[in-house]
Amino acid sequence: MTPTTLPPLNLAVLLAGLALAALPHVLHLPLWASATAAILFLWRLAISWKGLPLPSKFVTVTATIAAIAGDILTYRTIFGRDAGVTLLVLLLALKLMELRSQREIYVVTFLSYFLALTNFFYSQTIPTAVLMLFTVYVVTAGLIGFNAPTCRPVENLRTAGALFLQAGPVMLLLFFLFPRVDGPFWGMPQDAFAGVTGLSDTMSPGSISRLSQSDAIAFRVKFDDKPPPRPRLYWRGPVFWEFDGVTWRPGGLPLLQRGVKFESLDAPVDYEITLEPHNRRWMFALDLPGRLPPRTRISIDYVLLSVRPIRTRMRYQLRSYPSYRATAGADPEDIRLALSYPRGFNPRAQRLAREWRRTLGNDEAILLQAIDFLRTGRYGYTLQPPLLGANSVDEFLFDTKEGFCEHFSSGFVFLMRAAGVPARIVTGYQGGEMNPVDGYMVVRQADAHAWAEVWLGNRGWVRVDPTAVAIPLRVNAGIAAAAPQSAPLLMRTRLNWLRTLRDNWDALGNKWNQWVLGYNPDRQREMMSWFGVRSPSWQSLAMALFWSVGSVIGIVALWLFARYRTADPTQRVWLAFCRKLGRAGVVRSKSEGPLAFGARAAARLPERADAVHAIAGLYVELRYGKDADKGSVARLRSLVRAFHP
Amino acid sequence: MNWDRILRHSQIYNLLVRPHQPETGTIFLAQRRVYILPTRQGFTFALALVLMLIGSINYSLSLGYVLTFMLAGMGIVSILHTFRNLAHLYVSAGRVEPVFAGDTVRFELHLENRRDVPRHSVLLACAGSTTNCEVPPNRVETVTIPVKAARRGWLQLPRVTMETRFPMGLFRAWAYVRPDVRAIIYPKPDDALLPMPRLSHGTGDAMNAGTGTDDFSGLRAYQSGDSPRHIAWKAVARGEVLLTKVFAGRAAMEMWFDWNDLPPRLGTEARLSRLARWVLLAHANGLRFGVKLPGVEVPLGSSDDHRKACLQALALHDADNAAAA
Amino acid sequence: MHHGTVPFIAKYNADVHLQPNKRKFMSSSIIQPVIREASTVILGKERQIRLALACLLARGHLLIEDLPGVGKTTLAQALARLLGLNFHRIQFTSDMLPADIIGVSVYDRDTGEFKFHPGPVFAQLILADEVNRATPKTQSALLEAMEEHQVTMEGETRRLPEPFFVIATQNPSHQVGTFPLPESQLDRFMMRIEIGYPDHDAERALLQGTERRDIISALRPHLEPAELAELQASVRTVHAAPPLIDYVQALVEHTRRSPDYVTGLSPRAALSLLHCARAWALLEGRDKVVPEDVQAVLPGIAGHRLRPVHDGVRSSAIDTAEDLMRSVPIP
Repeated sequence: MTPTTLPPLNLAVLLAGLALAALPHVLHLPLWASATAAILFLWRLAISWKGLPLPSKFVTVTATIAAIAGDILTYRTIFGRDAGVTLLVLLLALKLMELRSQREIYVVTFLSYFLALTNFFYSQTIPTAVLMLFTVYVVTAGLIGFNAPTCRPVENLRTAGALFLQAGPVMLLLFFLFPRVDGPFWGMPQDAFAGVTGLSDTMSPGSISRLSQSDAIAFRVKFDDKPPPRPRLYWRGPVFWEFDGVTWRPGGLPLLQRGVKFESLDAPVDYEITLEPHNRRWMFALDLPGRLPPRTRISIDYVLLSVRPIRTRMRYQLRSYPSYRATAGADPEDIRLALSYPRGFNPRAQRLAREWRRTLGNDEAILLQAIDFLRTGRYGYTLQPPLLGANSVDEFLFDTKEGFCEHFSSGFVFLMRAAGVPARIVTGYQGGEMNPVDGYMVVRQADAHAWAEVWLGNRGWVRVDPTAVAIPLRVNAGIAAAAPQSAPLLMRTRLNWLRTLRDNWDALGNKWNQWVLGYNPDRQREMMSWFGVRSPSWQSLAMALFWSVGSVIGIVALWLFARYRTADPTQRVWLAFCRKLGRAGVVRSKSEGPLAFGARAAARLPERADAVHAIAGLYVELRYGKDADKGSVARLRSLVRAFHP
Repeated sequence: MNWDRILRHSQIYNLLVRPHQPETGTIFLAQRRVYILPTRQGFTFALALVLMLIGSINYSLSLGYVLTFMLAGMGIVSILHTFRNLAHLYVSAGRVEPVFAGDTVRFELHLENRRDVPRHSVLLACAGSTTNCEVPPNRVETVTIPVKAARRGWLQLPRVTMETRFPMGLFRAWAYVRPDVRAIIYPKPDDALLPMPRLSHGTGDAMNAGTGTDDFSGLRAYQSGDSPRHIAWKAVARGEVLLTKVFAGRAAMEMWFDWNDLPPRLGTEARLSRLARWVLLAHANGLRFGVKLPGVEVPLGSSDDHRKACLQALALHDADNAAAA
Repeated sequence: MHHGTVPFIAKYNADVHLQPNKRKFMSSSIIQPVIREASTVILGKERQIRLALACLLARGHLLIEDLPGVGKTTLAQALARLLGLNFHRIQFTSDMLPADIIGVSVYDRDTGEFKFHPGPVFAQLILADEVNRATPKTQSALLEAMEEHQVTMEGETRRLPEPFFVIATQNPSHQVGTFPLPESQLDRFMMRIEIGYPDHDAERALLQGTERRDIISALRPHLEPAELAELQASVRTVHAAPPLIDYVQALVEHTRRSPDYVTGLSPRAALSLLHCARAWALLEGRDKVVPEDVQAVLPGIAGHRLRPVHDGVRSSAIDTAEDLMRSVPIP
């Protein structure tokens, strides 16, 4: 085996870049893969440093087969996000083992760039972006090293830095002007959104309290005007109709393409939502949404649904009517569904409800009775409710009396249905927090909530929040106030400096989301409209791209070639003077001295002789004289500028 | 027609025509002379970027766009860097020492960088050999270009390709230069073990091999025809090879090497080779000698310059036909 | 004052470019009358006079190479008288011995000691006429004296007078029975110039004018020895800016790199070039060296030191220098 001839120092730079690209993957790679990659990596360093031989072909081929086998054993596939990344890391590490020639350096370099990109599958935060750009910089410096074998690594880092800085404007232009299309071209790997949190399409006790631990952002809202007061901020999500005693499920109601009918009683609210991907179809809206954004449907129970699962950050404009009379979803079948409940469970609650129905005449009186029951029942709010048995409603209402919104809403709706009042559960988010830094309202997973809607004939579907009735603090002040000990640290209200810090960080994150991560065809159109282009076609974008990138390259070229210019300002001015005379037909030979040239030019242009002599004399004084002062350079410059042959 | 002028100014014209004429003086690598195209690695890089872009679109990775476009920007900017690394160099030919046919001529090229930026990794390729060089700002770097000398006569420096792939290796900028510099290639001395002609023409004494008999001056390998009296028998007795004692003397120091003394059946090149060997031998032994060729006569002399003059005369004898042979 | 014989160098009027408000360099005014007076003796050769003076001020020695009768001796004599230097002329012949130049020690019977009789080399300005007629041994005796400014005779070292300036003349070397100075010795002369035939008008003035010898004997010194020494010292104070030194270096380096020359200019030649350019600038009344000064003295400095490779027909010093100048741009 021939020893490697690649310069160790350059290889070390390249390997450092590669390590930076691979390092964040350690968080989700299987341990065996990380360990293998690290060992191979260090081994390669040792090989180049100590001049050891590279392993034989047999060893690398065997190791490659083993790596693929290990990948399949771990993931049952080699496709998919995690399996693919694991394989890429392993193959790249193995490729290092046969890195001999300059040509193979390029393979490693390009794969390192690619590996850097794969980090964005897992995280697109600002630190990740900074780290990966730095990675690209280091890898490029390594590549440059192999093209300039005699340069020191410091010089290569400087060259890479120059390339990097000059490429920056090109990158920005390409980023903002490159015609954007909506992905995806083909299916996503199934595990792509494994870790995404959000509301579930079923509700059983405990499913929302799990969310309340998370301060992850569900969506951000930008109100055109003043936001409605907090108690009216009910962000509507999936609505549940069916109950089997344990789990609530949606009713499977038809979807409509136009808006669902309701009467608005007050002025509308206009706002824009930036929704984090949650891999489900529903989109959140303030009760009740009017106009539908494009490519959305609405169900008969006013749930806004996207055509496809939401896998990228999504932005949409909405108009909602906070005061309304909702009359849809009240067909006899819907009402029947809204009255059904499993008869075999929760006998105590059923008995109480039937008692109410018997003593009280109409639905509204029953509703008021139920509300009164909850308010006076001394219920407690906790994120760690005790475990409940089969008769979960009974146990919560009469025994444990401690729970979370899903317990309250579930118990309330059960009572209403048992009393013969049509009711349903609505899940979604309640509240939101204004970020004073950028004016966006942030709604977090911890704001997840469940409430109820009751059908009251002429008044339509009326929202009742049983949690708010029992624990008013929850809705008026938010979850952190209602359950101070168990709310996420950053949402606790007492730590003011922490809040300020978080607000700023959130605002930066929001900017990042709005302008970097959420830069999509819509955003692009919006930005182009600032420049007066109303509806840019891809052709006009391409033209804009072409010309702007062209001019940036031109500027960079001018800058680069400007360093070709003579460094001495005096000489620059003199050469400009010579060019002027050259255009007038008096061309200076490269080896003609200034005085000789001046004399010749003066003879050719007798009427400009004085100026020529003055310039030549001053130039000689400045360039060849002993104590030339800076002011004279300026004088020479003005003389030359004023000179017109 | 204007077409002619357009053609004359186009790069294609330069590419096809200009390199065939050697240029005198200092050659300036003006922008027009420097060509630039992507390398294979450059195309691979572009392909990798397209894949990364497709991936970014498909997975809606905004930062994927950022990374891809950053790399694209660096690729584009590297064109300028590569071009700048080669353009505006000044190339001039340096000295060249004569060599014998079959040896390697070492042409010197001076690369002058009158700019404030260093030039890294400039490759000079010529006649199958490649030399790498760095030219710091405002410096002159001298590069030696080895060229195998096949035949005697003049050897013009072939076209030199100057190229660079700095910094990223994605693009290759190159230029052709053909400085007007030529080397004299002496005929290769033959290795026949024949002694120098016994007779010199009229001058000096007719002595053996032009050497004197007065003072012993050293030993040399035995050549057939040497007098047995001059064989170093003591050395033979020690088991060494056959050596001949060489004597220096004033008497027989002048020799003429005449083209016409050699049999014509040898052919021109063989005769010149024989003469070349005699010239070397005579010079090494400190003789006064001269060379007579048809139409050329180099008078007697013994200095280094004289040896050069003799060999040059041999090299250039009927040089046009030598090249044709 | 156009220097008609040199088509390329320094075609400018020295008076025009000087800024009127700029103080003229002190020493130049002293030397101008010398140039003026000398020009009345050797007609139409002001350039050569200036070069000779520059060489003298730069403490170098001058070699004049030309045909007999063009005024070599006249120039040397005129300079000696105008500068107030004592003057010896040595006519070199093939039977001359070193002692004929340096001097001999003669046994004095009266004192019983050897007494040194100094040779003609003990003078401030020496005209070594037709040096190429002497044998190399004799030539080298002179050259060593020039180099060291002293002579060593029988173990005793004797200093030569100051200033010590040698003007050697040499006939073009293709004459029979001569020993042209070898190249290594030529380097000892700071400058070599040719005088050339006078032009039509100058020749006519020469034919119509007074006897040269009478004019020379009528010349009066214009400089005190101290003034000359001061002038020589002030040559060093003429400013050579970095760009100018760049130019000198570029010229010298070019001769070393280029395949056109057999050998490049030596470091001594480079020093001579810069120093002579300083002296020339001084004569022009400037306190700094400009590229034109370098170009003006370049043929004299480089002409005898450079040998072109493709030397089919011997090219003149001016052609060689001009080729060199053309190939090297002024930085």
